[in-house]
Amino acid sequence: MGIVFTRLFSSVFGNREARILVLGLDNAGKTTILYRLQMGEVVSTIPTIGFNVETVQYNNIKFQVWDLGGQTSIRPYWRCYFPNTQAIIYVVDSSDTDRLVTAKEEFHSILEEDELKGAVVLVYANKQDLPGALDDAAITESLELHKIKSRQWAIFKTSAIKGEGLFEGLNWLSNALKSGSS
Amino acid sequence: MSGHDSKYFSTTKKGEIPELKEELNSQYKDKRKDAVKKVIAAMTVGKDVSSLFTDVVNCMQTENLELKKLVYLYLINYAKSQPDLAILAVNTFVKDSQDPNPLIRALAVRTMGCIRVDKITEYLCDPLQRCLKDDDPYVRKTAAICVAKLYDINAELVEDRGFLEALKDLISDNNPMVVANAVAALAEIQDSSARPIFEITSHTLTKLLTALNECTEWGQVFILDSLSRYKATDARDAENIVERITPRLQHANCAVVLSAVKIILLQMELITSTDVVRNLCKKMAPPLVTLLSAEPEIQYVALRNINLIVQKRPTILAHEIKVFFCKYNDPIYVKMEKLEIMIKLASDRNIDQVLLEFKEYATEVDVDFVRKAVRAIGRCAIKLERAAERCISVLLELIKIKVNYVVQEAIIVIKDIFRRYPNTYESIIATLCESLDTLDEPEAKASMIWIIGEYAERIDNADELLESFLDTFPEEPALVQLQLLTATVKLFLKKPTEGPQQMIQAVLNNATVETDNPDLRDRAYIYWRLLSTDPEAAKDVVLAEKPVISDDSNQLDSSLLDELLANISTLSSVYHKPPEAFVSRVKAAPRADDEEFADAGETGYSESPSQGVDGASPSSSTGTSSNVPVKQPAAAAPAVPAPIPDLLGDLMGLDNALVPVDEPTASSGPPLPVVLPPTTGQGLQISAQLVRRDGQIYYDISFENGTQSVLDGFMIQFNKNTFGLAAGGPLQVPPLQPGASSRTLLAMVFSQNVSPGAPNLLLQVAVKNNQQPVWYFSDKGSLHVFFGEDGKMERTSFLEAWKSLPDDNEFSKEYPNSVISSIDATIEHLAASNVFFIAKRRNANMDVLYLSAKIPRGIPFLIELTAAVGAPGAKCAVKTPNREFVPLFFEAMESLIK
Repeated sequence: MGIVFTRLFSSVFGNREARILVLGLDNAGKTTILYRLQMGEVVSTIPTIGFNVETVQYNNIKFQVWDLGGQTSIRPYWRCYFPNTQAIIYVVDSSDTDRLVTAKEEFHSILEEDELKGAVVLVYANKQDLPGALDDAAITESLELHKIKSRQWAIFKTSAIKGEGLFEGLNWLSNALKSGSS
Repeated sequence: MSGHDSKYFSTTKKGEIPELKEELNSQYKDKRKDAVKKVIAAMTVGKDVSSLFTDVVNCMQTENLELKKLVYLYLINYAKSQPDLAILAVNTFVKDSQDPNPLIRALAVRTMGCIRVDKITEYLCDPLQRCLKDDDPYVRKTAAICVAKLYDINAELVEDRGFLEALKDLISDNNPMVVANAVAALAEIQDSSARPIFEITSHTLTKLLTALNECTEWGQVFILDSLSRYKATDARDAENIVERITPRLQHANCAVVLSAVKIILLQMELITSTDVVRNLCKKMAPPLVTLLSAEPEIQYVALRNINLIVQKRPTILAHEIKVFFCKYNDPIYVKMEKLEIMIKLASDRNIDQVLLEFKEYATEVDVDFVRKAVRAIGRCAIKLERAAERCISVLLELIKIKVNYVVQEAIIVIKDIFRRYPNTYESIIATLCESLDTLDEPEAKASMIWIIGEYAERIDNADELLESFLDTFPEEPALVQLQLLTATVKLFLKKPTEGPQQMIQAVLNNATVETDNPDLRDRAYIYWRLLSTDPEAAKDVVLAEKPVISDDSNQLDSSLLDELLANISTLSSVYHKPPEAFVSRVKAAPRADDEEFADAGETGYSESPSQGVDGASPSSSTGTSSNVPVKQPAAAAPAVPAPIPDLLGDLMGLDNALVPVDEPTASSGPPLPVVLPPTTGQGLQISAQLVRRDGQIYYDISFENGTQSVLDGFMIQFNKNTFGLAAGGPLQVPPLQPGASSRTLLAMVFSQNVSPGAPNLLLQVAVKNNQQPVWYFSDKGSLHVFFGEDGKMERTSFLEAWKSLPDDNEFSKEYPNSVISSIDATIEHLAASNVFFIAKRRNANMDVLYLSAKIPRGIPFLIELTAAVGAPGAKCAVKTPNREFVPLFFEAMESLIK
């Protein structure tokens, strides 16, 4: 137990990187968010068959951000990335109301994973720029975020295209990681 | 003992794999790189590190080219064993194929081509398409090769995505390296496709000829080999091509030279101007001669090709015979080839020189070489009429050395010389006859006998000579027997005196009555009838004028020769066989599962293991390798578990190969012994036993599916066994749902596939289904299953049989634990197992039963069973002609009277 604690500790305050997974259904905007965070610009993306990994520096913390493909065929392999993860960014397409149920189910099955017990959860209610996008409260409701008891979580309204809300979320995340491990 | 002792069971040692796993997930790049290196090292020495697949793949997105290459290497090796997880690498490939660094783009596209996983191929088409149009030639040429590899995995996809058109566009590329690789890829694809895909038009021809001058030597080989398929329209066209190709003859690479020679030879067919042809022949000689100064292996390849060239156009090397003289230190295979070419090049002008050489060779030590040299002299004699006399005098000189095999070989060729030049050199027969006693080889003997028969009228003691052979007539090989027969008939027709008449009687008698050889018998009968009906007609037939022979040994049929010449510089021209004779080209037809069945059955892998050469070395090649995928039988043999090494061969060798399943047949009965536990069968449990029902042997077999998936397509195969037991029909098992089980009776038949050696009841079985590898297990039956219904004997015949068998064929065994409680019940019980009661008698307080049984191949067992009713202990005595079955019999008996 002590070892785990030390590792967590040094991972945040040492020069090591915090390992973050960006998860969510396909076409939620995970890859766009990753590159918006990393390069500050919108890149054209194609469905991610596999993964992207980039390092993002923010608030004196280096985040090693893993963006995993959201296709049904790839979701089973998410678990390969769970060990040693400090935080999860769960991206929801707020305009895709039809699939919110699926998004919720995937989300809660992730939370039940043993290996992610200590991970902090940040939800991005993405695509706020689209008409008909639900707001954060509605998404909180649909994902049943209130059921989360044993960990820190937060939800932010974002638009990866416009670059809104992303860094606010990251800000919360860095603080949560610092406080969580100190 | 306290609870703390549990600590001894937990270990802190994790082993190599978890350690590597941890290092691969390290935060530090250096550590990750080291870890990947360790993984690759482990992989190289054969350790299975496939379980680290995701961890290694996660290191794939890196700036570090070295690390990336290592991960790619890992992927190529393990993607096949982790086809599902391979999908995780796709995005990185896509990204890397757009990397600003062309090396990374090319690396990505090359690796993609090497990952032969069907599931991810479609994701890789877009990157491939991009790379085919890349700005960088290195990327384009790598992509071109990748198309050929993809075609091998999924031909349809390649055609649908228009990759073939893209490849054809690359032929017009401004970079010669790209052109060469596109040509190589197209040629490779053409080899595996039945449709015409790659045809050279006059337009592409110009492109290829231009690229030829600029690309690498191997690129030149690819282009030249493709050009050799081009059919020139007329003589001018051909001349133009030849003109552009001729400079390649000067190339240092022998593959380039041979490929150039191939094209020139092909185009020469069309060229009408004799001047041009003569000129070309002159130009081809020096490069061909140069090939003979290379290593012996290359020399051999060159010689085999030259052998063909010389048959087509002897003029090319007519003046170069000296380079084919054997050096003392040439390897034997080079010497033999050189001899062959020397014979072909021998002419009136150089025959003296050549004969001197041959004579020299005939005194060397290597027997095969000496024989061939002697034969070469004879062949020259037949070929060159004006030199025949000189050849014969050399042969006579050699005969005088009295080296046995030289003499025999000389006699063989002299027979041919007599055929070629009748009534010219018969004066030497006397010399030949001196060596008569030393002949011990059939061919030499047969030749000598032919000579004696043919020239019987000139040999005074021909009848004596022939008679000396007749004593051993029955022991002679067929070849000699036939010659003796004919020679005796000739002798008789030429000298119908008393001696030959007796000989002919003896020979005809021997050849008709005493022989099993139908050829000999038929020939003898024909002679016999001819002689008895009309001796004059016999004379006309037997002593008819013979057609004059010519030297046609080792001459190839002209159509075959042309085909081989079109394949110069490939394995085909070295073997002197058309490619179809030794390779099966994998033509791209829609791959039906059935077609792969043999492979799958053999290895248990769903993918066909025999895709031939890796696309990395596409199309043709150096002089020593073939340009067609070679189908390798049993390529994946290591996949077979060790305990039953020869079952694999038998599986493939049997005629009644694996047969698919049709309808299920239900079976029920007592539980069967487990022959394949689920731990071994990856969840599949097989129980089985040999049983006998209604006079028929069945294999009662039950499958229990403990896996998570449906299993279907069950098949079964039995290895050779003592009784030649084999499946009498297909195994009928319905598709098994997870958790379900099925039991069936498989009728067994006796086949001819009987395993030699001491009899045993071991049954080696292979079972497969469509989902799992082949399972092998051994089952041990009991002999009583084989006791036949026909085993009942009459009292008299039993007594006779018992008496006729010697006493040392009697064996006995005590069964101290067996209790016979009732004689009648025992008799009934034994009869149910086909051990038949014959008689009984009482001896003191013991009952003695006489019984009989019979196993296949008509082997009887005569049994005397002695026991006291109610008391433990029985004694069984048995007499049988086949004593090796006795131990098995006693085992069976023990189970029957238990």
